[in-house]
Amino acid sequence: MNDLTAAKNKSLILSDVVKTYVMGTEKVHALRGVSINITRNEYVAIMGPSGSGKSTLMNVIGCLDVPTSGEYFLAGEPVAMMSESQLAETRNRMIGFVFQTFNLIPRADVFHNVEMPLIYGGMSRPERRARTEHAIERVGLTDRMHHKPNELSGGQRQRVAIARALVYEPSLILADEPTGNLDSKTGDEIMAMFDELHAAGQTIVVVTHEDYIAEHALRTIRLKDGLIEQDERHDKRRTQFTLPGAEPSEAHSAAGLESA
Amino acid sequence: MRGLMSITESFRIALSAIMANKARGALTTLGIIIGIVAVITTMTAFNGMQNAFRQGFSSVGSDVIYVSRMPWIIMNDFFLYRNRPNLEMAEAEKLEANLQGKAIVNPSMDTQRDVKYESKRIDGIRIVGTTEKQTVVSTAVPDIGRFLMAFDVSYKKKVAVIGKEVSDGLFDTINPINKEIWIGRNKFRVVGVMEKQGGSTFGGPNFDRQIYIPISSYVKAFGGRRSTDVDIAIKAPSIESMEALEYQVIGEMRKVRKLRPSEDDNFSINKLDTLMGGFNSVMGVVLGLGLLVTSVALFVGGIGVMNVMFVSVTERTREIGIRKAIGAKRHSILLQFLFESAIICLLGGLIGILIASLLTAVINAVLMPASISVPILIVAVVVSVVVGVFAGLVPAWKGARLDPIEALRYE
Repeated sequence: MNDLTAAKNKSLILSDVVKTYVMGTEKVHALRGVSINITRNEYVAIMGPSGSGKSTLMNVIGCLDVPTSGEYFLAGEPVAMMSESQLAETRNRMIGFVFQTFNLIPRADVFHNVEMPLIYGGMSRPERRARTEHAIERVGLTDRMHHKPNELSGGQRQRVAIARALVYEPSLILADEPTGNLDSKTGDEIMAMFDELHAAGQTIVVVTHEDYIAEHALRTIRLKDGLIEQDERHDKRRTQFTLPGAEPSEAHSAAGLESA
Repeated sequence: MRGLMSITESFRIALSAIMANKARGALTTLGIIIGIVAVITTMTAFNGMQNAFRQGFSSVGSDVIYVSRMPWIIMNDFFLYRNRPNLEMAEAEKLEANLQGKAIVNPSMDTQRDVKYESKRIDGIRIVGTTEKQTVVSTAVPDIGRFLMAFDVSYKKKVAVIGKEVSDGLFDTINPINKEIWIGRNKFRVVGVMEKQGGSTFGGPNFDRQIYIPISSYVKAFGGRRSTDVDIAIKAPSIESMEALEYQVIGEMRKVRKLRPSEDDNFSINKLDTLMGGFNSVMGVVLGLGLLVTSVALFVGGIGVMNVMFVSVTERTREIGIRKAIGAKRHSILLQFLFESAIICLLGGLIGILIASLLTAVINAVLMPASISVPILIVAVVVSVVVGVFAGLVPAWKGARLDPIEALRYE
């Protein structure tokens, strides 16, 4: 009973997750036993060189893939046991993806791109409209609502992607190298936006290989050869890119307490 | 509710995908258009031939039974009927007496003669000796003048009711009534002109190229009782009583002919149905072959759509990955592509129907009385959608099964 309550409180629990791929005759051990607890409103950076299992871990966390063995609970739901259709539903409701290459649908305008998760979630049209407009407003693109992605700058496109990730109010925003395709100034703006979201109570996991991106997070998990090499929390933000008003929240202090 | 949402969304996506690739969609649709036009035109052409055939025999009432020496449709069994005795006038009279009060019996005989009025001459006109009851057993009525009357028959009057083409050929603009014409070596007085009946596209007699004269005068002018073969038309009181009447007629004819129970009928019963049946059995094969060939065109069109759908799925691999990542399930992706191919094919079907309608109008104007029927339209629409769904099935399934991780990585 206590375990269950604890599980529900935690945003995300991975315990001893192993992922093995079979490539031809060879077995590739991408994750060799990874255990991570991430509580609500944490801001985590996952780092590691290529081949460290970083991408695999992101796919597992993002419910795009299931572990070969081990447990994964997302908001109390056992993801490792899910069918493909349940995984799709979980991604839809609980996870907001932000990709390096934005991954917007080129034929659809900003509104339709942001609205899409709500459509697959089966929400009614008026509610979709209200939520979509709100999410677009949060990323400051209200005046670009009916533009196609190719009419937007890189930074604007990534903001659209963030709005799409936000629109269903997911348990977790999962960003994969979100500034990788942007110049440093625009990248800073995007990271500032993540900081702002975190300040507003959002749980965020950023996968990156850039230290200065990881510095925005309050906790850094370093992977090497499919294992956690280092899991450290920063007591204080070491970045100067914080927007005014985006002070570490109470929830963050709570998370910090729990880790102790 | 969820399902419904993703259906309308899938439909929307499919539409926008087609709109984004208009040229390709149009070219793909062309295959379906050609297929549908071919199928519909084959069907309407068949329908037109049927109509033309029916029209050609329109004066053969559908509630009339004909007793003749030979069946109207002889495939390759002519030897079976060759030795049958002619139907005699006397036999017709007996049959009429026996069926008194049950049906209207009209005997008739026919032959070919050349006809002449002053210097004008037409060769090979069908001369029909009949009675005043001809207008009861057939639908034809005179346009000007009158038809034969009972007294024409009983007094062996030398009067004639001529067909429209005969009238036009001999008299042109002159009023033919009361003019004397030569039928072979006999003079007849024209008392009426039949209304136009329309051509005979399919080998039926051309009713506009014939002349009715009293059967009594016919016997006197063109042949003895023995050498001439009589056709007996018997009109049933109603369509429903046709079958009963047919058995009755067979029975009465056997009595007249004094056939023993062991002997086969040595006469034939003919009906419009027999004729239509014969036509349908021959043309049905033609229709079947036609549809087979034209459905190959449709099949090839379907293959074209399938090909384009494979391209479309491959092209949008990344999009499928994105959609799956944000929560699209397999069936949403499947529906999206099925809708796309179904819409392409439905569009093709509708355009095909439009073109086929124009073609049918042309056929109707120059060839035969053809029209597109509602069932043909429904079949065309259903067939095009079914082709679309089948053509889209494998590509759509391929797209729906994509692994989101792989799909997102696709460049």
